[in-house]
Amino acid sequence: MSHLTDLPAWAAIAVCGLLLMGAAMTLIGSIGLLRLPTFYDRLHAPTITTSGGTILVCFASMLCFAVLQSRWIFHEVLIIVFITVTTPVTLMLLGQASLYRHRFEKPQDVPLKQGPHAEKDRE
Amino acid sequence: MLLIFLLAPFGGSLLVLFFPSDQRGATAWFAGAIAFVCFLLAAGIYPFVTAGGVLRFELDWIPELGLNLTLRMDGFAWLFATLITAIGVLVVLYARYYMAAEDPIPRFFALFLAFMGSMLGVVLSGNLILLAVFWELTSIVSFLLIGYWHHNAHARDGARIALTMTGMGGLSMLIGLLLIGRVVGSYELDAVLASGDAIRNDPLYLPILILILFGALTKSAQFPFHFWLPHAMAAPTPVSAYLHSATMVKAGVFLLARLWPVMAGTEAWFWIVGLAGLSTLLLGAYFAIFQQDLKGLLAYSTISHLGLITVLLSLGSPLAAVAAVFHIVNHATFKASLFMAAGIIDHETGTRDMRRLSGLFRYMPITATLAMVASAAMAGVPLLNGFLSKEMFFAEAIETHLVNSLDTITPYVATIAGMFAVTYSLRFIHSVFFGAPPADLPKRPHEPPRWMRAPIEFLVLACLIVGIIPGRTIGPFLHTAVVSILGDRTPDYSLAVWHGWNVPLIMSFVALSGGVGLYFLMRSYLATGIEGPPVFRLLQGQRIFERVLVTLSWKWARSLEQRFGTRRLQPQMLLLVFLAVSAAAVPLFRRGFELPPLVIRGIDPAFALLWALGIACAVGAAYQAKFHRLFALVLLGGAGLITCITFVWLSAPDLAVTQLLVEIVTTVLILLGLRWLPKRIEESRPEDIPLRVRFRRLRDFLLALAAGGGMSLIAYRVMTQPTPETIASYFVERAYSEGGGANVVNVILVDFRGFDTLGEVAVLSIVALTVFALLLRFRPHPDSQDIPLQQRVQNAFDDDHPDRNAGDSIAEYLHIPSTIMRWMFPVTGMLAAYLFLRGHDLPGGGFAAGIAMSIGFLLQYMAGGTRWVEERLRIHPLRWMSIGLLVAAATGIGSWVFGYPFLTSHSQYATLPIVGKVPLASAILFDLGVFSLVLGATVLMLIALAHQSVRAPRAHARPARTEREAAQ
Repeated sequence: MSHLTDLPAWAAIAVCGLLLMGAAMTLIGSIGLLRLPTFYDRLHAPTITTSGGTILVCFASMLCFAVLQSRWIFHEVLIIVFITVTTPVTLMLLGQASLYRHRFEKPQDVPLKQGPHAEKDRE
Repeated sequence: MLLIFLLAPFGGSLLVLFFPSDQRGATAWFAGAIAFVCFLLAAGIYPFVTAGGVLRFELDWIPELGLNLTLRMDGFAWLFATLITAIGVLVVLYARYYMAAEDPIPRFFALFLAFMGSMLGVVLSGNLILLAVFWELTSIVSFLLIGYWHHNAHARDGARIALTMTGMGGLSMLIGLLLIGRVVGSYELDAVLASGDAIRNDPLYLPILILILFGALTKSAQFPFHFWLPHAMAAPTPVSAYLHSATMVKAGVFLLARLWPVMAGTEAWFWIVGLAGLSTLLLGAYFAIFQQDLKGLLAYSTISHLGLITVLLSLGSPLAAVAAVFHIVNHATFKASLFMAAGIIDHETGTRDMRRLSGLFRYMPITATLAMVASAAMAGVPLLNGFLSKEMFFAEAIETHLVNSLDTITPYVATIAGMFAVTYSLRFIHSVFFGAPPADLPKRPHEPPRWMRAPIEFLVLACLIVGIIPGRTIGPFLHTAVVSILGDRTPDYSLAVWHGWNVPLIMSFVALSGGVGLYFLMRSYLATGIEGPPVFRLLQGQRIFERVLVTLSWKWARSLEQRFGTRRLQPQMLLLVFLAVSAAAVPLFRRGFELPPLVIRGIDPAFALLWALGIACAVGAAYQAKFHRLFALVLLGGAGLITCITFVWLSAPDLAVTQLLVEIVTTVLILLGLRWLPKRIEESRPEDIPLRVRFRRLRDFLLALAAGGGMSLIAYRVMTQPTPETIASYFVERAYSEGGGANVVNVILVDFRGFDTLGEVAVLSIVALTVFALLLRFRPHPDSQDIPLQQRVQNAFDDDHPDRNAGDSIAEYLHIPSTIMRWMFPVTGMLAAYLFLRGHDLPGGGFAAGIAMSIGFLLQYMAGGTRWVEERLRIHPLRWMSIGLLVAAATGIGSWVFGYPFLTSHSQYATLPIVGKVPLASAILFDLGVFSLVLGATVLMLIALAHQSVRAPRAHARPARTEREAAQ
């Protein structure tokens, strides 16, 4: 395996660009998590971190090591696939938990009524 | 050959367990066949042990500690082994008819064979430690056998008393044997037997003697430890016949005889052993007269006869030793047959109470005749084997061995005890078989089945033949046994029936006539039917034992608990942490503890930031732990992740992988447990807190600080220590060449330190079982007993809508997440397999794979619910754990087969289709065991939590539902 200094300039620029973009997305996501007003808004902020940021960083990694080892590298694709598949689970569970809580504590704040409880709440 | 001889009963015992419980005949046949094969083996070995020959078998176990699996058979061991196997065969035949149809037969025969194996082990051990191991094994198996009818309180009590007494004796004997090993410098029996003078002249001789005698005397039920034997009579009669007359109680005298050449002949030996033997001989015989229970009478008579053997061994003369060995054999034959006869009487009449039995001769003449011959042997009537050894005993009793008072009274005590023996033998026969026909018996008595009587017939025949022509029958075997104990000191002795008119004969005559006279004098007293002997019945050994036990295990424990114990977790933790801190602090301060100066250099800002984050998380977790548990848990997870990243940073990918997986599992398991904790409300007005509480909190805080700070100081001190040449470099160099793996950590775990790992996984499984047991008895706080609000709402909604089934809502809500989580299961499995296979050369391994796999199960439980998962997957964590342990241990033992020490691994590469080249060290099997065990342990904890949530709603759902129905 060759060292990082062996990376040609074009690849280095591309890798850096991807890394920076990924880091920037993650940062934006984190700021969003901190600043957005309601829980449901905040719920969306980390998604950009996980999907956008992670994907970009993974691309950077793929590119970097593919050039260094002069072969195609696809390991990171697995990371991307699993991250994108599993993030919705967290999102949905969190969203539903908070929805429940809202319905009991402050029904007027609940953004949108649907699902099995819609009828009951209307009664 | 010896190994087969020893292992056959154990193997048979395991196999018998697999027999269906209704196959009584087949089970008995199999057990009998095993016993018979052992007997044939013993017979086949005989030519090797004649004339002082010794057969040996050695296998290294832990040679560094002088622990070897040495089997050694000489003439004496042969005699015992033959006795054990021969009577074993007969008792199996007898038990076939004795045991009732509803008794679990395979368990009986399995335990029986296991006992036979352990007894053979005691006899054949050529190493003192091995002897102690088998000795304890006999205690444990006899405990299980006495408690075989465990629904019976007497059986349980008897078993417990027997185990406590013999277990205590075994412990003290082990200490004594260890001391002998220290004096001699070896635990090998040959070496010990060769260094008798060294032991007798050692200053430690007296402690050794007392410790070993305690073991031997408790096992052989010698006074004052005799009382466990009568209580052990609650066992099934075949057990009594085998354990409590022929074999186990003889283990004590066996040990005395075995160590006789080494330890006997001193003043202390004579006094202790002689006193115990004489008092047992006399008191046992005296107590036996007054028993109302047939088996009780036989038990006390056994005690008395064991006392006789002990007295003989105490005398320290070679002739007495010959008599002792002879009497061991004789007693086994007539007492086993008497026990069997008592069992037949019990079996055919339904009672063993001599007050209710009488005149049975007319119903079972053959059994009665057999029992009469056997009890005549017990009483020492001429022309029977009991007479011969008793005669030898009398002859020895008259001889003066040491000039002291004990030696002087011996012949008188012997005669009186002989008289008592005649009395109780007569009582046994007369009250059971003669007199008026019995009234109100539970069953109508009749002769037992033909083959149930056969063992008694055989034994009684042996009594007769040995009694009439001893020199031609038992003579050569006895000689072989005696030579192996006494060696050059073997005396000339004659086994003839007729020695002419001499003092022993007169003593016999006095005993016989006196005994008969005594019986007729005492008939009126005995007819009153009072249980137990006069005066002594007030002083019951068992009562005293119980009282001591209660005081020790209950009263003292209770007061200790009241004084120092608490049911609250906090004080317990306080005490624990305090002890830990002081245990670390005291030696450190006494030895001097200096910290090297703190040098700050080359701090990586990113790493420092990382750690700042980690510290913040950890402190936050501690700060929030009381009122915001979920929050604290999240922070804890953060701290864990930082640790994980640190490992990666410091190039420890193995640790990082494991840390990450462990972190996930612990977080989720704690999360599941959080639901059951009671709610805590923060005090609204902090100024109201009383001073005592403030003080307590401050104290706890300081203690926690001391513990944490002390730990970091120690860590700091250790890490700033300049590293000397450590064992690490050795591992790094040898990992590939000797362990066959490039991943040093894994090779250390499964190869270099494989034995440690085996211990660790065993501990892990114990922990998992403990968690499981604790959670099984866990009753949640009333606050958290109800179903959570969300579930209640959903269930109510499902109940209110007739078109919906219970649980529909939750299924709908979780539809997408649970689908994804279900699909992750094969992926997790794949990941686990990957981690497992790469473990030998790259980060991963059995432990990490096991945890990864258990995460897969965790996800399934979370996605589908406990019931859904258990309907679809076969989850047997206990089985996985035990298989894991067995596989790991078997891998270790496997290296024995190839002639290497325990847990030597062998490595090679194999090419699998698709996967490619796979390292195939035998260590991978070991790793497989670790994998299975870790998986089982984690899943066991998981299901313990999961079942809690299944169980709790069930208890509460019913009343809730009925309320609702009533309202409608």
